[in-house]
Amino acid sequence: MSVLSPYRVLDLTTERGLLCGQMLADMGADVIKVEPVGGSPARGVGPFYRDVPHPDRSLYWWAYNRNKRAITLDIERDSGRELLRRLVARADFLIESHNPGYLAERNLGFADLAKINPALIFVSITPFGQDGPKAGYADSDLIIMAAGGPLILAGDEDRPPVRLCIPQAYLHASADAGVAALAAHHERTRSGLGQHVDVAAVQSVAMATQSYILAAPLGSIEARRMSGGVKFGGFEFPLVWPASDGYIAMTFLFGSALGVFTARLMHFVCEQGFCDQATRDKDWIAYGEQLVSGAEPPSEFERVKEIVRKFTRSRTKNELLQIAVERGFLITPVTTIEEVVKSPQFASRDYFQNVAHPELGESFRYPGPFAKFSATPIEYRRRPPTVGEHNSEIYRDELGLSGRDLAELARAGII
Amino acid sequence: MPNELPLKDVRICDFMWVMAGPASTRILADYGATVVRIESPTRVDTARTLQPFFGNQLGPDSSGLFANCNAGKLGISLDLGNPAARAVVHDLVRWADVVTESFSPKAMRAWGYDYESLRTINPTVIMLSSCLMGQTGPLAKIAGFGNMAAAIAGFHNLAGWPDRAPAGVFGAYTDYVAPRFTAMAILAALDHRRRTGEGQYIDQSQAECAIHFLGPAILDYTVNGRVEGRVGNSDAAFAPHGVYPAAGDDQWVAIVCRDDDDWRRLCFAMENQDLARDSRYASAAGRLEHRDAIDASIAAWSRAIERGAIESRLQAHGVPAHQVQGSADAYTDPQFVHRGHFVALPHPGYGKFTVEGPRAKLSRTPATVRRKAPSLGQDNQHVLEDILGYDETRISELVAAGALG
Repeated sequence: MSVLSPYRVLDLTTERGLLCGQMLADMGADVIKVEPVGGSPARGVGPFYRDVPHPDRSLYWWAYNRNKRAITLDIERDSGRELLRRLVARADFLIESHNPGYLAERNLGFADLAKINPALIFVSITPFGQDGPKAGYADSDLIIMAAGGPLILAGDEDRPPVRLCIPQAYLHASADAGVAALAAHHERTRSGLGQHVDVAAVQSVAMATQSYILAAPLGSIEARRMSGGVKFGGFEFPLVWPASDGYIAMTFLFGSALGVFTARLMHFVCEQGFCDQATRDKDWIAYGEQLVSGAEPPSEFERVKEIVRKFTRSRTKNELLQIAVERGFLITPVTTIEEVVKSPQFASRDYFQNVAHPELGESFRYPGPFAKFSATPIEYRRRPPTVGEHNSEIYRDELGLSGRDLAELARAGII
Repeated sequence: MPNELPLKDVRICDFMWVMAGPASTRILADYGATVVRIESPTRVDTARTLQPFFGNQLGPDSSGLFANCNAGKLGISLDLGNPAARAVVHDLVRWADVVTESFSPKAMRAWGYDYESLRTINPTVIMLSSCLMGQTGPLAKIAGFGNMAAAIAGFHNLAGWPDRAPAGVFGAYTDYVAPRFTAMAILAALDHRRRTGEGQYIDQSQAECAIHFLGPAILDYTVNGRVEGRVGNSDAAFAPHGVYPAAGDDQWVAIVCRDDDDWRRLCFAMENQDLARDSRYASAAGRLEHRDAIDASIAAWSRAIERGAIESRLQAHGVPAHQVQGSADAYTDPQFVHRGHFVALPHPGYGKFTVEGPRAKLSRTPATVRRKAPSLGQDNQHVLEDILGYDETRISELVAAGALG
């Protein structure tokens, strides 16, 4: 049994916010993507299957619409809105990501739909929230990452701050929206009432600052960007290190929790002949404070990092990973997407899932279930839907429209 | 019907520590769950040792990261290796709807607190384990932090410049992604239990859930065989799309043109008729081809202007633009202020301690941050006496046995 199978979700999101409905769909909810006639703008976002743009072959669309059904509906027109209201009457959730006010101007806002279905949980995902001085700002992923705090923290010192090149902002917002929707649902099981959930992507991405967004109100200095690490109080702390065949991520930090790992690593580095015992036996727990107080000169810290770099550079990524597994070091390889897909770890957990695309006569590996549920495992029941694939299922079989009604609606461009 | 916190009836026995785990139960605490956070009196929670610190000073309760991940929870110090602690754990598990843990795999089993053992104490308990790579597989026992899971899940390699080493995403990236999946999994499992009476065990790999944030790039490889690499701030479809210098030292503004209209409006706002008239730049394809020249023209204009003024001017013309904000900028940003993003909580040691507020606004039953994060063992008495119903003798015995540290 799927965990959320009793629930119906109408997903009106545009190209932003698609992941929210997919998380619910993966857990079994009946999620119906409601798209404009011709298909969602998300279907125009690349990359595409074999690099040929086609509304049913956007890999961005595929990535975030698995397990959903899809219908087309023109909500710019009265008859389209009427059909949407009929669907709302039997829905448990509605998710949307239009600019604030767009749906309300069409009498489809939360206040309008709550009259039809007081139990409806209406989830809005927007760049800056439903109101406030920047609610009407034009946006994109990069804009949200700039406003919300993560962007300034990453990149090379001598170049502009840099983003992760796969858009992230609306994924963070979608995930927050999903949690909020289920919290509101939990409350609804007591009160029987729905409500409006308002998620601002700019707040969601602030999560990706590791709480450095709090530096100013706490009176802390701010972290500064540095390639493969972080600069703090004038000191450079690398987190990405060179291997002989690429890079690794390694936590080489100090203090009562992390200094223990650094001491363990330095013993090995010494054992392998990269440093003397005096270097090995530095007080790695107090080391950060010694740097700040000046007891440990910056030049000495630079020397230590060079020793560690020589060690990491002497091994391949995989050798370092194996050493880390055996000895409890804080090391993983920096991997390409190809290495991720071919990873024995993910294979041993059957992570990547084959999803059949009968319309193309092929099947493809998708990122697998986001968690393993013992009683209600996530299942990939449906490939991402083609444009209007479930129109007759929903409009004819469920709403009871006749074949002639459907043809009429199609002719009028409503569906 | 009074507007009560949505999760006021949810009880969580929380063994999680550091970042990814505690950040998930923080969300549930905001929505009203009673979260009893178990902390080791001997092995300090790494989050307590990480910046930013209140007043820039390391102290047992000064970490903004720990405060942010644990606000609204009750804290109990319990030495899990102490035999006297066992009865307390069992009583908490009996009390709880949900047990959460984020140790490396096998730790809970070593203590006898694995799911099979705990369900004999509480047959309908929901237990969630969250760790870097999941409970099984050759790398299951890799311990560590979200920067490591981000590297092995492909994130680090996709942030930075193509001609340089990977800059990497900032910090423990999967620790920002995983908590939302954790919280959703718990809420869904609670609904299943409400309907069926059945609890369950959830094995969450922080790397596996985070890979969904790279979905299109994964499919580009599995479908097209293309291995995407880092491309700075470029975008495959939009140009210009970048971060440009503004007046001052290391000041930046992000500017994006999503379509030809944005481009025309940008040229108008820059008062640059030459750019506007240049036919090479009229279409996205042309602008992508000539993006370096366009970037140079924008930078030549932007570097003389204050970043906030660029943001306002471009947004007034409907062009996506925003100054690149650090903490001080965000703290005074009118939109963050309007959203109530920063919440100053009363704190006996520091007066006020600011954390981030709830990230979603619920119209009828809004989330709230009820209290500052607990100091080590702050709520021992309350948890043992009021929640578990222990009398003074029993509590004294635990203290004498050293179970509370």
